[in-house]
Amino acid sequence: MRKYMLRRLLLFIPTFMVITLISFILLVNAPGDPVERMMTASQSSGDNTQSVVQQEQRAYWTHRLGLDLPVFYFSIHSLAEPDTLYRIPNKAERNTLSQFIREYGNEKEILRFYAAESALEKKVDGLACLAADDTVTVCDHFNSDRVAMRMEWSKLKSTTNPESIRLIIQNTKTFFLKYDFLGKEISVVENLENNFEDILRHPQTWKNYIPCISFHANNQYHRWLFGDGQSNGLLRGDFGISYLTKQPVEEMIRGKIGWSLFFTLVSVFFAYLLSIPLGIKAAAKKDSRFDRISSMILFMLYSLPVFWVATLLLMTFSNTDAFHIFPASGIKPVTGYPVDAGLIDKIKLSLPYLILPTICYTYSSLAFLSRTMRVSMLEILSQDFIRTARAKGLPEHSVLWKHALRNSLLPVITVFANVFPYMIGGSVILESIFTIPGMGSQIYNSIDAQDFPMIVAVFTLTGMLTMLGYLVSDVLYAWADPRISFSENTSAA
Amino acid sequence: MKEKSFFSGMVWKHFRKNKPALISLYVLLSFLFVALLAPILANDKPLYISYQGQVFFPAFSFSKTILFDNKETGKKETLVISQVDWKKLKPDHELWPLIPFYPGKSDPLHADYSPPSPVNHFLGTAKNGADVLSGLIHGTRISLSIGILSMLIASIIGIVLGCFAGYFGDHHLLVTRGSYWMMILGIFPAYFYGFYVRSSELSEILREPGIGTLFQFKLSFIIFTGIIILFYYAGKGLNRFPFFAEKKTVHADSIVSRIIEVFVSIPRLILIISIAAIAKPSFFNLVLIIGFTSWTEIARFIRAELLRTRNAGYIESSHAMGFSDLRIILKHALPNAIAPATVAIVFGIASAILVESGLSFLGIGVPQDVVTWGSLLFAGKENFEAWWLVVFPGLAIFLTVTSFNLLGDGLRDAMDVKGRG
Repeated sequence: MRKYMLRRLLLFIPTFMVITLISFILLVNAPGDPVERMMTASQSSGDNTQSVVQQEQRAYWTHRLGLDLPVFYFSIHSLAEPDTLYRIPNKAERNTLSQFIREYGNEKEILRFYAAESALEKKVDGLACLAADDTVTVCDHFNSDRVAMRMEWSKLKSTTNPESIRLIIQNTKTFFLKYDFLGKEISVVENLENNFEDILRHPQTWKNYIPCISFHANNQYHRWLFGDGQSNGLLRGDFGISYLTKQPVEEMIRGKIGWSLFFTLVSVFFAYLLSIPLGIKAAAKKDSRFDRISSMILFMLYSLPVFWVATLLLMTFSNTDAFHIFPASGIKPVTGYPVDAGLIDKIKLSLPYLILPTICYTYSSLAFLSRTMRVSMLEILSQDFIRTARAKGLPEHSVLWKHALRNSLLPVITVFANVFPYMIGGSVILESIFTIPGMGSQIYNSIDAQDFPMIVAVFTLTGMLTMLGYLVSDVLYAWADPRISFSENTSAA
Repeated sequence: MKEKSFFSGMVWKHFRKNKPALISLYVLLSFLFVALLAPILANDKPLYISYQGQVFFPAFSFSKTILFDNKETGKKETLVISQVDWKKLKPDHELWPLIPFYPGKSDPLHADYSPPSPVNHFLGTAKNGADVLSGLIHGTRISLSIGILSMLIASIIGIVLGCFAGYFGDHHLLVTRGSYWMMILGIFPAYFYGFYVRSSELSEILREPGIGTLFQFKLSFIIFTGIIILFYYAGKGLNRFPFFAEKKTVHADSIVSRIIEVFVSIPRLILIISIAAIAKPSFFNLVLIIGFTSWTEIARFIRAELLRTRNAGYIESSHAMGFSDLRIILKHALPNAIAPATVAIVFGIASAILVESGLSFLGIGVPQDVVTWGSLLFAGKENFEAWWLVVFPGLAIFLTVTSFNLLGDGLRDAMDVKGRG
C-alpha cells in the first residue's frame, strides 16, 4: 500500500512537469511584447532624454521578467541563427532580425549592419548642434529633422524589404549632407550602406538548412519554475507579475481561489449526498417506473448545458419582472457585511447569493454520479453474496444498505476524479454568469485584458488541482480495495 | 465482408428497438438536413427572381457578382450580390427562402428585441433586429461542423495512438537498439526541417487560419514523420555491430498511457480557453483545439479493445501466416475495435458542441461576427425580457446534445453483444 502510494506520488511529478511546460509554451507564444506591456504606463516618445529613460526601463523590465535569458534548456536553431539572439531586448526587433537571417542567412553581415545602425544613432544622439552662424534657425531645423530621422531609423528595425531600407539610407545621406557639421561624419552612413549591400551581395541561405543545437543551463523556463534572486519561481508559488495591475499574480489569486474551491467542494458534497440514494433506489427497482423516469430525467440533466440553465434560472428567479427571489450577481450584499457581523450572520447574508450557483454546479455531476451509482449497484446486486444474503432472509433494506452499498461505492468514489475537473472547467462559465469572484471569472477577465501571466497561472493551478483530485481518488480507491495493485490501476487510466 | 454486414445488421436490429435512440437519430438527421440547406432556408437573397425579363438565382450563386442588363439605361452592369437591396426591387416574379433574413444582419424595422411573431420574425429578433431563427439555422451548421470535424481529428489521433498502444502492448514491439537510438536522435532534425525551417509558413496558421494553412501544417507533419522513418532505416544499417543489433522492447502501451494520463489531468475547458485567448479566434482554430484535446477517450477504447483481442485466434493465425503488423492492424484488429470507438466518438461530438457553445457564450472562440447558438444566448443574457433569445438557442443546444448522447447510449447498448446474453 505504501509502495503503491509512493509510486503514485512519483508519477505526479512528470505529469506536473508537462502541465508547467504547456503553460510555459502558452506564455512564451502569447502575442505582444511583455516588456512593452509593463512599460505602457510610463511611455511617451520624442525627447532625447526620455528615450534614454525608456531604454533603461526596457532593460530593467527585461531583466526583471527574466526575458534576457534563453527560452529553454536547449534550443534547436539553424547555423545562421546565432544562439545569442535572445539578448536583444525588444521582441519586435528580435523578430525582424531573425526574419532577416531567414531570408539571407549571412548572420555576420546582418549583425554588422545592425551594429552600424546603432553606431549611427549613437553618433547623431551625441552630436550637439554646431552650426557657426545664425545658429537658432539652423539648430531648430536640425533638431526637428533629427526627430524625423529617428522615426525613419526605428523603421529599419521592423522591415526586411531591401527597397525600403535603401530608401531610408538615402534619406539619411541627404540629412547628413544638409548640415556642415554632420557632413564630416558621412562615413558612418557610408559604413551602414556598405554593410547593407554586403548582406545582399553574399547571401548564404544554405546556412538556414543546417541544424544546430545549443544548451543553456540558465534559461527562462528554469527561472520561471525555480526562480532566481528576483523571483521565487512557480514551485514556490510565484506566478510572476500581472500585466494588468503590475502586482504579483499569486496575491491576486489568493483571495479568489477560496470561492472556487468552496463551490466545487460544496456541490461535490451535495451531488454525492443526493446521487447515492437515487442510484440505489433506481437499481433496487430496476425497470420500474421510478427507474425509467429517473433515468430519463437524469439523462436529460446530464445533457443540459450549464450556461443555459444558469441563464434560465437567473431569468426566472432573479428577474424583477418574474420572481425576484434571489439576487442576480455577486456573493454578498453590495454594501458588504455589517461591521459587527459574525460568521453566522455573514453566512445568513450570503446564503441567497449562493443557492442558484450551487444548484448549477451540482445538477450535472448529480446526473453523472447517480448513473454510475445505478450501474455499479446493478452489478453488485447480481452477485452471489447478495443472493446469499437474501437467502439468509435478511430484510431487503439491510441487503441494500449494508451489503450492497459498501461494495458498489467504489466506482462512485473514483468518479470523483472525473467530476472534479469538470467542475473546475465549468466554473469559468458559471462564475462569469453569477459574477462570483473566483478563479474562473478571473481567467475570463484576464482574457479580455490579455493578461497572460494570470491566464497561465490559473491554468497551472487548476491543472494542479485536477491532478490532486485524481491522486486523492486513486489513493481512496486503493485504500478501499486492497486488491488493487499499481499495474492494474494504470491500465484502467 | 459477409460477417461485417451480419454484425451491423444485428446492431441495427437492436438499435431499432430503442425508441429514444431511434428518435434522436431522426432528430439529428433533420438537424443535418437543416445545416446542409441553411443558405436556402434562411437567406436575405431571393432563391429566384425575375427582374426586367431576366432571371437570377442569387441565393444559389457561387460568384460574388452577376451580370445585369439594365433596360432603363441600356447599359450592362455588374452587380455585387451582397450589396443589392433585393427587398426594394420591384421584380416580376420572385421566390424567397422560408426565412428571408440573414443571421446577424440588422433589420431596423424590428430592432430592439421584437418578440416572436407569426408574421415576420418567427422567433423574434436581437437588439439590432437580427432574426433569431435565421441565426439558429445557420448556427446548426457551425455547431454540427465543429462537432463532427473536431471529432474527426480526435478520431485520427485516438485511433493511431490507441492501435499503437493496444496492438503492441508493453512487450510486443521489438526494435534493434540501433533503430531505437537513431529514432530518438532523429527527432531533432525532424523537428528542425519539419517545423523550424518552415516556421514562417506555419505562423500563418495563427494569423490566417484556413484550409491552405492546414495544408502547411500537414506538410510539416509529413516531413517530420518522413525524417524519423529515414532515421529508423538508417538505424537498421547499424545492425552490423552486435551491440546495436540487440533487440530492445519499446513499452508502447506505457508510453501512450502516460500521454493519455497527462491529457486527462489537464482541465480541458480551461486549456481550450487559454489557447483560444492566445490564438486568433477562428472556426478552424477552434476545430483544431477541440480535436487535439479530446482524443483520449477514443484512444482508450481502441486500446482496450485491441489489448483484449491481441490473443484472439484470428490475430494469432494472421501472425502465423506472416502478415505484416500494419496489415493485421488495418484488416483484422481495427475493424472489431471501431464499433466501441464509435460510441466514444458520438459522445465526443456532443461534448465538442457543448464546449463550442460554451465558448461562444463567453465570447471566446469563433469570431465575433459569426452567429452561433452560444452567441445568441450570450445576447439574451443582456436583456432578460427577450426570453426568446435565451430559450430557443438553449433548446437547440440541449436537443442536439441530448440526441447525440441518446444516440451514443443506444449504440452502446446495441453493440454490447455480451450483455444481450
